Amino acid sequence: MDLTLDLAAQLTWTGLASSSSYCLFALAFALVLKVNRIWNFAQAGLMVVAYFAMFIAFRWLGLSPLPGAILGAITTILAAMALEYWGFRILRQRNSSVLTFFIFTIAMSQFLIYMAELIFGTDPKTLFPSIIAPVRFVGPVVVSDWDLIALSLTVTLVGALWLFLRKTREGKALIAVSDEPDLAEMYGMNKDRAYLVSMALAAILMSAGMYLIGTKAAIFPSTPLSQFMIFAVIATIIGGIGNIFAAGIAGIFLALLQSYSILVIASKWQILLLYILIFVVIILFPQGVKLKLGKRGPARKAGQLPPADDVAEKAS
Amino acid sequence: MTKRSASGLSRRGILAAPLVLGMPSVIGRAFAQTEPLRFGVADPLTGPSAIFGLDQMQAVRWAVEDINSAGGVHGRKLEAIIVDHQAKPDVGIAVVTRLLQVDKVPTFITAFSNVVKAVAPIANREKALMLSVGANSPDIKNLGDYVYTTFPLADVDMRALGSWLYKSQNKRRAAVLYVNHETGTEGAKVFSAAFKEAGGEVVLNESYEEQRSDFTGLVLKVRAANPDIVHIHSVISDFTAIVAQMRQLGLNTQVTSFQTAFNPKMIQELGKASEGIIVTAMAPSAEDNANVPKYLERWQAAYKREPIGLPYTQYFHDAPYILAALFKHVLDQKQAVTGENLRKALLAIKTFDLPLTNRITFNDDHTVNAPTYFWQVKDGKFQVVGKL
Amino acid sequence: MIEFLLTLAILAGINVLLACGFNLILGYGGLVSVAQPVFYAIGAYSSALLSMKLGLPVPLAMVLGALIAAIASFGLSLPSLRVSGDYLVIASMGFQLGIIHIINNVEFTGAASGLSGIVSAIESPWRSQIYAGTIIAICAVTILAIRWLVTGPYGRAITAMRNDEEVFASLGRDAVHIKVTLFAVGSGIAGLAGGLYAHYFLFLTPDQYGIFSSATLLTMVVVGGAATVRGPVLGAIFLTVLPEAIRFLNLPIAVMAPLQGVIFTGLVILFLFVKPEGLFGSKSGGGLDAWQSRAMSSSMRKGAK
Repeated sequence: MDLTLDLAAQLTWTGLASSSSYCLFALAFALVLKVNRIWNFAQAGLMVVAYFAMFIAFRWLGLSPLPGAILGAITTILAAMALEYWGFRILRQRNSSVLTFFIFTIAMSQFLIYMAELIFGTDPKTLFPSIIAPVRFVGPVVVSDWDLIALSLTVTLVGALWLFLRKTREGKALIAVSDEPDLAEMYGMNKDRAYLVSMALAAILMSAGMYLIGTKAAIFPSTPLSQFMIFAVIATIIGGIGNIFAAGIAGIFLALLQSYSILVIASKWQILLLYILIFVVIILFPQGVKLKLGKRGPARKAGQLPPADDVAEKAS
Repeated sequence: MTKRSASGLSRRGILAAPLVLGMPSVIGRAFAQTEPLRFGVADPLTGPSAIFGLDQMQAVRWAVEDINSAGGVHGRKLEAIIVDHQAKPDVGIAVVTRLLQVDKVPTFITAFSNVVKAVAPIANREKALMLSVGANSPDIKNLGDYVYTTFPLADVDMRALGSWLYKSQNKRRAAVLYVNHETGTEGAKVFSAAFKEAGGEVVLNESYEEQRSDFTGLVLKVRAANPDIVHIHSVISDFTAIVAQMRQLGLNTQVTSFQTAFNPKMIQELGKASEGIIVTAMAPSAEDNANVPKYLERWQAAYKREPIGLPYTQYFHDAPYILAALFKHVLDQKQAVTGENLRKALLAIKTFDLPLTNRITFNDDHTVNAPTYFWQVKDGKFQVVGKL
Repeated sequence: MIEFLLTLAILAGINVLLACGFNLILGYGGLVSVAQPVFYAIGAYSSALLSMKLGLPVPLAMVLGALIAAIASFGLSLPSLRVSGDYLVIASMGFQLGIIHIINNVEFTGAASGLSGIVSAIESPWRSQIYAGTIIAICAVTILAIRWLVTGPYGRAITAMRNDEEVFASLGRDAVHIKVTLFAVGSGIAGLAGGLYAHYFLFLTPDQYGIFSSATLLTMVVVGGAATVRGPVLGAIFLTVLPEAIRFLNLPIAVMAPLQGVIFTGLVILFLFVKPEGLFGSKSGGGLDAWQSRAMSSSMRKGAK
């Protein structure tokens, strides 16, 4: 297929707009990995919470978009903080292994998906009855209202997150805790509080992403786990674990790559490309991946406290 | 949906419940003869495909009620034991094994190609008559002695659509998009072959994974290929998403699909963008079957909507009628009600006149034939535009 | 009913094999892979295809299927020695999903439509009885072999590795050797389980072997008690029977599957918090957390230097 200029422009614009939710999911995932040090596969479950909280707000309570979305975000924030407080915190205290975290987070996602199926049924649902947004031509490029909402929402949220992390005391504490949890604590920063804050931020990003998805297509309760999560994971890996915003950019890059590569590769092989990417990036460049952690002092497993002698070493 | 099903379908109780109302008029017979004639029904009642399964079960339920209130079979009631296979082969194997080995039914109805294939060996081994209702895969005819389909296979309607589009609609260049699973790949294959055979050209042939929600690249690829018809062989949610994204990107090419898109919810979600979509159906429309309007009224009365996947529900509705005829034949011959005898009865009767799907004749290759109807969305409603 | 119980016993036996093999990798090898289902799939498809396309006798095809699965495990185990912990979890997921995706898309394996027409292992009125008996025998042999493996001389090396990898690492190639061997044996057992499944149920689809299947197997190992011999065995039996038992409750059918899921995953979560060492592990021996935090952090410390 020939790549004309018009086609490239359209592909870039629409691809960019639809990549916005992937960017948000990747940011949320990378944030929790960096601060809480957990590969949070329960994110899919939280995305389900966000989606159906908004579904109730819009379809059952008849709220308009803004209050409905806010209600959805608040519910998700509470759920995410509860997960940290009653879940991760306890496992962390117990020095649980990587696999325990893996099983807990995956089981949590499945649990929430089954709950959603139990309550809402298993048929695909959209957030509003219609998924058609008004469109206009800008030059040769079709621009829909949805594209504009998606891009402005994403830019706003990413900007706000950046400002929060760089400019506020709370945000700086997050970074400090993620770099040196125990050291940060010695300087009077509350580690547990930072973990809760990062979960809340991730919840906001997820809710926004799910809002965008649900106004464009119908999803099943299982879609977040079977489709969106893997994207966030890969984006986080490509972004170089530990770099939140790079993960967001990787999310956009992956979505665009998929849009463009369809011109070259049959779409059924595209996903294989992603899986191979995970395997190859981790296996061939473990140093690249680890260095990122190394910079943050003695590397620890996600969700694990370092042994006591480590802390003593650092403190001295 | 859950509300309805929670009150509606319990594993076996519910179909027996209406039986109590129309108690047999011939009570005097021996116990063995008043015992209900039981059969199994395995369909997805949870999971992504439940959207079809739940309405199909409603159709079965009504049919069993009607047969029983008309006196059943020689005064014996039909009883359906409904199980949920979630459209997953491994679950299908588990529930069908239970149907045949724990509930001991001599015959069962099931649908969804991947499950049909997975459970066929069990039916053959246990010598239980298996009626596939609404599985689309052309392979099904090769699944063994005890497996019959009451539903025309995908090669029937996709063949018809391919040549109808070329001959009656003057379409020359088709783009084919399909979901990468059983039904999608098989359906797309048959459609492409038929369209080419009629003289058309398939300018694009692309699959995508289930549950995907962004189709920008795919749609732009379609636009660049410049087809005059886009055939989408999909499950329901992705169909609406693809069409929505096509229309929004300014691609107004004629879209066709098959029976899963025969869904009032699709029209609601797409609004005006659904106008002109053509879908196939292998069950007769109201023009050819006097009972269909009444059947649709029944849906309106009970649920204030049309059934999802209307043609499928018509075949499901009629399957208990086929079984009733088989049971009657076996009882008339004073034979034991076993899968073996039911199969012999099927071969002996061969042709069935059914309430919603007219006359059906089983071919020697275990399939049936039926005309294909083409429906188009006009003014927010499906209307028949052709028949082949 | 007997027939049904036999089928259940066959499924339970297959799960016992899968869980025991997985436990060798996770519990004893300390390799946190989630990819066990992919070796199950490789064994199942290889065995089915060898008997269908080449006409090999079924038992031979099963053994070859197990061998192919064991060999395929090197594709994951050798590169994975370079990484550990979380990274291995993610890399193994990529490996698993990638291979399943290939099976899902090539014609040779029946693609997404699934593979039907598989040769039955036995044609006899006593098919299920014979099959169930065979599987129980295979399970017994496997369990005894594993027991010997982890308690014998080889087992002492494993224990040494478990207790202090750093010391053990000074032994050089042996640690690598042991890990790779455990991975191959565990995967080979999964491959054998795959062959046993294929030639009894006679139909395979790729979506049986996804990440959900990983989660279920992990649950069997963990609920039973990782790094113990009996834990995964009992865990596999318990979790195979549980859903069937729930099904006998005659719940409303349209809520049954999600409710089953809620109960199942709810139990898993409960176990992680209340009895993390597993149903049949003891606080001192067994359980995922018993030794990994130490071994892991020491190996990671090395990695960072």
